[in-house]
Amino acid sequence: MSDIQQQIQEHAKKLLSDKTVDLFIGYKDINEPMLTEPAFIRDAKDADQLIWNPFCEHNLAKYLVGRNEKIAIVAKTNDVRSIVVLINEQQVIRENLTIIGVNCDDVIDRKKVEAEMDGKDITSAQIKDDKLIVKAEKISKTLKIKNYLHDSCLDNKRDMSEICDIIIGEKSSCKTEEDKYAKIRELEQKTPEERWEYFKKELSKCIRCYACRNACPLCYCKSCFVDQKFPNWVGQTTDLSDTMCFHIMRALHTAGRCVDCGACVRACPNGIDLRMLTGKIEKDVKELFGAEAGLNPETDNPMTSYKEDDPEDFIK
Amino acid sequence: MKKLKMINKKDITKLLDELAKNYRLLAPVEKDGIVNFTEVQNGQDITLDFYNSKEPLKKLFFPQSETLYCYSKEQGRTVPEEQDKRRKIVFGLRPCDAKAAVLLDNVFDGADFKDPYYLEKRENTIICSLACNEPQTSCFCTSLGLGPGDKDGSDIFIVDIGDKYLFEAVTQKGQKLLDEMTGTYEPEDKDIKKAQTLITESENKIKKQIETACLSEKLDELADSPIWDELAEKCIGCGICTYLCPTCHCFAIVDEASDCKGCRVRNWDSCMFGNFTLEASGHNPRPTGKERMRQRIMHKFNYFVKNFDANACVGCGRCFRNCPVHNDLIKVIEKINNAKSEPKK
Amino acid sequence: MSDDKEKTKEEFEPKIIAFLCSWCSYAGADLAGVSRLQYSANIKIVKVPCSGRINPFYILKSLQQGADGVWVSGCHPGDCHYLTGNYFARRRFTILKRLLEYIGIEEGRVHFSWVSAGEGQKFAEVAREVAESIKKLGPAKRLVKK
Repeated sequence: MSDIQQQIQEHAKKLLSDKTVDLFIGYKDINEPMLTEPAFIRDAKDADQLIWNPFCEHNLAKYLVGRNEKIAIVAKTNDVRSIVVLINEQQVIRENLTIIGVNCDDVIDRKKVEAEMDGKDITSAQIKDDKLIVKAEKISKTLKIKNYLHDSCLDNKRDMSEICDIIIGEKSSCKTEEDKYAKIRELEQKTPEERWEYFKKELSKCIRCYACRNACPLCYCKSCFVDQKFPNWVGQTTDLSDTMCFHIMRALHTAGRCVDCGACVRACPNGIDLRMLTGKIEKDVKELFGAEAGLNPETDNPMTSYKEDDPEDFIK
Repeated sequence: MKKLKMINKKDITKLLDELAKNYRLLAPVEKDGIVNFTEVQNGQDITLDFYNSKEPLKKLFFPQSETLYCYSKEQGRTVPEEQDKRRKIVFGLRPCDAKAAVLLDNVFDGADFKDPYYLEKRENTIICSLACNEPQTSCFCTSLGLGPGDKDGSDIFIVDIGDKYLFEAVTQKGQKLLDEMTGTYEPEDKDIKKAQTLITESENKIKKQIETACLSEKLDELADSPIWDELAEKCIGCGICTYLCPTCHCFAIVDEASDCKGCRVRNWDSCMFGNFTLEASGHNPRPTGKERMRQRIMHKFNYFVKNFDANACVGCGRCFRNCPVHNDLIKVIEKINNAKSEPKK
Repeated sequence: MSDDKEKTKEEFEPKIIAFLCSWCSYAGADLAGVSRLQYSANIKIVKVPCSGRINPFYILKSLQQGADGVWVSGCHPGDCHYLTGNYFARRRFTILKRLLEYIGIEEGRVHFSWVSAGEGQKFAEVAREVAESIKKLGPAKRLVKK
């Protein structure tokens, strides 16, 4: 881990001193257990603020759209895929970007760790090799990190080295995911009433803070459909029907684009499992159109392209 | 008419069951790992073993979506009425949230304007706060003039002293309710002392501090400072900090209508949203996150201070705990206090 | 509107919104009318220039505002007046239909078809099929905005 951190710092120092980039986006420590924050480094002498650990959870691709500077960005595998989609959609200028892909990129799901601590505030969390030693008042636990990773990391294993300008860490052993859509298939087997009750229950937790939308690197519309009044697609109230429509439409807008980075789920203060919606669309796009987002910047988006023999058995 | 009463923990469920008969009882309920104040009929559904609720109590007096009135061609204007007119009891509120309601009163029960929707709910509610024996690591209420044992805003103040609860009537409203409570008995001096000790211990556990002594004046000097670029850079502009803050109170009034009928609704809004200050002309006086972050801090620690002589913050830490990029208000205030003042342009 | 919902299933007359592309399906509906072919009066038509114009929100909002069912119809693939509009629409509808059923909207509430300008007979048949299917399901309750 610390070797990766050192490499990130060295690259930052070099890229900033020789003016290859104006801005280096990475992660830094904030002196709180299990938390890191996005870092925006412009001066080579600040490069040693950069860190790397399994708590570097944010998808930094969020910060790329709308910038004209030359930027270097630390990107985990899923983050690289987000960047690929942004390149494909011409939201970032590839020549201005230096993508630093970090291969060793399993991120710890803090909620899974918190669930082990009896609801107590965590006072310290130390990483030692493959273990996490976490303490709260009167509780100390040693957890195996690989059992507490984000589902979006476990479900998405790709080698994005081809796209990256710099690669740090061992090439991840590309194990084929076991059926990453297992939970979705399970839900598909239930009756429509059961599914409706499930989504009603999940989405009624939504407080319309739009953190899911704002954390997503691919939600970059200057005027989101939610903000539009003419027509007023979605009301501003907490009416459940409006809330469900917001989530349905946002999920639909990610069709063929979502890389399942999990930023939306991590951002949600109430822990709504949005991947059960975006995952369904991702699965359908893959099965029906053979497309997966964020693997190749040259590939057409499946929703803005077509094949003459696309499936249409449901059309009368 | 005794100000102080005790009740054994094992009798609390019975007391709450009785209160729920004559009042609408709102108490902390845990659902899927998250605790929020919910209306309950049975005392056993609640949990008092929690740090603080996820959402603040402002929802009770200032709902996230509130229908102000409805209108239709046939019926003209109708104002919705609460169906259940019983008084409400909020049981187990933390002192920071109780104080937050007092701060919100400055806005909704002000000298120039009294909000009838807010006031009706406020006056109809009795607040029974529960002292914090165990503050969270993110709490910093003691820097803001309150603390785990602060009674400001409570009608009844409760301290958990182990196998018993100590109840203290703080206001006349509270005294009246306290007199109605059954299963209580008088405390002994040692109980009262224990309560005080627990609160002092709890105050000492709060490690985080912010310095607000000269903060408002300092902010006046930083209007054009480049520090705001740095402070706003990682913010993603969602509404979590404002929605979960017990003192944030910005709202937008919209009409939801179709054909010949509709309703005028007041919804929470957030100054952190991009279009919060978007004008009909298309001009936006707060075009980027920098201006919006500056506004938020200024509102809480400068404008509110100038208008009402109080910081619009109770140190509950919700903004920090729930922020997707872990923006820490304490660090923000520290940077501001240490920033170089910029002369006004 | 609310009166409909309280009637029994037999008396229930659904409100169905049909989005028809103006070059094919709408013309097909016109032909059905001119040919005096009978089809359900519950179907209210909204003319759009192309099936590719259909924003999934049209379907969602129809269900929100009290429609019991929605029917979208366009030109046959290859015959689109704008050449490719219906190809894109086809992909969009595939994903939308699956998502709506996945979240629990009953199968049979939202229908899609290709009806050309000369298929008056087909239009009437599909209209009958759509109306029957939605009538059987009863009033739409999910997603309705109060």
